[in-house]
Amino acid sequence: MAKRITIDPITRIEGHLRIDVEVDNNAVSNAWASCTMWRGIEKILRGRDPRDAWLFTQRFCGVCTTVHAMASVRAVEDALKLEVPLNAQLIRNLILIAHALHDHIVHFYQLSALDWVDIMQIPNADPERTAKLAESLSPWTRNSRNEFKAAQDRVKAVASSGQLGIFMNGYWGHPAMRLSPDVNLLAFSHYVQALEYQRKALQVVGILGSKTPHIQNLTVGGVANAIDLNSATALNMNRLEQIRVLLDEVVQFINEVYVVDVCAVAAMYPDWFKIGSGVKNYLAVPDLPLDSAGSAYDLPGGYIMNGDIAGTRPFKTASDKVFRDSVTEDVTRAYYQGGKPLHPWKGETEPEFTGWNGEQKYSWVKAPRFNSQPMQVGPLAQVLVGFAQGHPLTLKHATLAIEKVQAIGGIKVTPDMLHSTLGRHAARAIRASMLSELAQKHLQLLTDNIAKGDYTVFNQPVFPSHEVEGVGTHEAPRGTLSHWVVIKDEKIKNYQAVVPSTWNASPRDLSDARGPYEASLMNTPLARPEEPLEVLRTVHSFDPCMACACHTFDPSGRQIAKVKVL
Amino acid sequence: MGKKILIGGIGNVLLGDDGVGPYVARLLEARYEFEDGVEVEDLGTPALDLLDRISGKDAIILIDSVEAQATPGTVLLYRKADIMCQVPAVRMDPHSPALVDTLHSADLFGIAPTDVLLVGVKAESFDVGCRLSETVAACLDQAISVVLSELERLGVAYERREHPAELGIWWTSDEKMEAPLVT
Repeated sequence: MAKRITIDPITRIEGHLRIDVEVDNNAVSNAWASCTMWRGIEKILRGRDPRDAWLFTQRFCGVCTTVHAMASVRAVEDALKLEVPLNAQLIRNLILIAHALHDHIVHFYQLSALDWVDIMQIPNADPERTAKLAESLSPWTRNSRNEFKAAQDRVKAVASSGQLGIFMNGYWGHPAMRLSPDVNLLAFSHYVQALEYQRKALQVVGILGSKTPHIQNLTVGGVANAIDLNSATALNMNRLEQIRVLLDEVVQFINEVYVVDVCAVAAMYPDWFKIGSGVKNYLAVPDLPLDSAGSAYDLPGGYIMNGDIAGTRPFKTASDKVFRDSVTEDVTRAYYQGGKPLHPWKGETEPEFTGWNGEQKYSWVKAPRFNSQPMQVGPLAQVLVGFAQGHPLTLKHATLAIEKVQAIGGIKVTPDMLHSTLGRHAARAIRASMLSELAQKHLQLLTDNIAKGDYTVFNQPVFPSHEVEGVGTHEAPRGTLSHWVVIKDEKIKNYQAVVPSTWNASPRDLSDARGPYEASLMNTPLARPEEPLEVLRTVHSFDPCMACACHTFDPSGRQIAKVKVL
Repeated sequence: MGKKILIGGIGNVLLGDDGVGPYVARLLEARYEFEDGVEVEDLGTPALDLLDRISGKDAIILIDSVEAQATPGTVLLYRKADIMCQVPAVRMDPHSPALVDTLHSADLFGIAPTDVLLVGVKAESFDVGCRLSETVAACLDQAISVVLSELERLGVAYERREHPAELGIWWTSDEKMEAPLVT
């Protein structure tokens, strides 16, 4: 007899994601992902000046501020067919890269590592042995006995006080936790260090964007950064040098710590290459434009259907016609009025709440579809799409990671194994090391362009009187983000944001096809159904963030998740 | 240089009364000048990034909307201990995970500020829009005076500006608060 388990909420940051699974013979036999609060925030944009839209969209979510600002200015520029100067492209790229590096570090260490790392095993570790092990894995200079001892003492103090603080909710001692005490200590020590390096990445966003969490330097047509080599307050060579120093430190942490830790976790939990695949349709958009017109990009885009990697179709531009024409949103199983799926430019957001019913409507998230199919988005989609196209940067960093896993665990990872929970973590680490290389490249491109005497940062937007439509995309840390705008008489007539977590957390649609979270949970084995750690591992591997999908309303920070067994 | 203090408004400015924290922060900034070392920030809806904001501060004063058993518009005060061991069944606020997690993390890393004050305003409506409900708008001055008396308690000087500054895009004028629908 199947039993129903509800986990609510599942994100450790803002949001309200609820997961329901049916468990039969200690394995998931059915799954539903839903969002429990309505947001409908796009309505606020109607009637406003399109030049102001980004100021509002960056308030959709406190975690992904920058990405919504960027997609918004790009949407308006697409509608106006307005190019942005090279300096502006590069400054935006650097902000996006720095934000993504920050986000990927925080996701792995602060939001998902404790699904794999058992904090309560740390008192049994030997810092000396941990240091030896760490030395064999990486040249990172902070892998010293003293660092590990200090980290262990911290945990011991917390454990002996009986006040577990931030650790009060882990599934400690769960049978699915399998790292040795030394590896647990190693990972925890990096969890602590990660806080410093994610902050350095954010400082780069702050220098270029003039403020975090809400950047101030964007404008439709470019950026508002003054470039003047003779002014102390403008963007000058000192500032660029400051950015270089910060990025170098972040890049070193990514390559010597983050990528190594992900490879080590993968090598020690190889069975998780077989769990969590689900929807094998993937979607990614090209990003990091290299010229004003947006005709060449450093990150590849495209789509894959049914896991057919060889049959990948590339997108040539960030607003490729195929992408523009193929996206719809389906509300059959979501709490909205409406019939057939609608293109985002025609999108409606009229609520119709009916209560959770797994057979009918059960989520506030609409179901985005590409050619009527559910799509998985995120770093895995981007890495697979790049890999399939023979994109050199993707191949280079994917190969390095695959070799690392083999060196640590003797496991040969094939591209097919990446359709999995571990595949998503591995792809995020691969993407982070790609972005690390690109951070340094784009900083150099910007420095060189300024040194040539090009200080242009802005092209004046011109609004036609007739109605125009635009799409602004960004391959954000959680995947493909698209903002869709309709402009008439210099005012916004319609606005829809199709965000990465709605692709991944999407409910079923009119043909009853499950969304990516739902599909990925099918057949997951659960050692202790009342402590569904395995469900958290897979859902967290997508890096869920539901704040832009719905209103943030978490009851308390005391629990990772309320688990209810029926 | 005096104490390092963060006055931070938390909340989403697009969701009605959820924007009360940023609004109060902006009003304080517009109306008063503070001694060196005091930062006034609209923090939006931060998650774990809040840790970076409070790190190295002697005291933090946060303003946020809260879910509590109280009449809308009530101003409620919470100290560090109240936040770190929440009374069950009291929904502290929509961004609790951020605040609670942050203070616990800060504690673990030994960087938690000594003085923590959360000025909570019980909200009436989270409907989409950059406008506070009349009920919550009526308690803004009370929230501000609570922040000012906390500063006095901490021995921090401030002065009323002769000419208050503009409030900024969110609350510049009534027309801007609520966009007309284009059909």
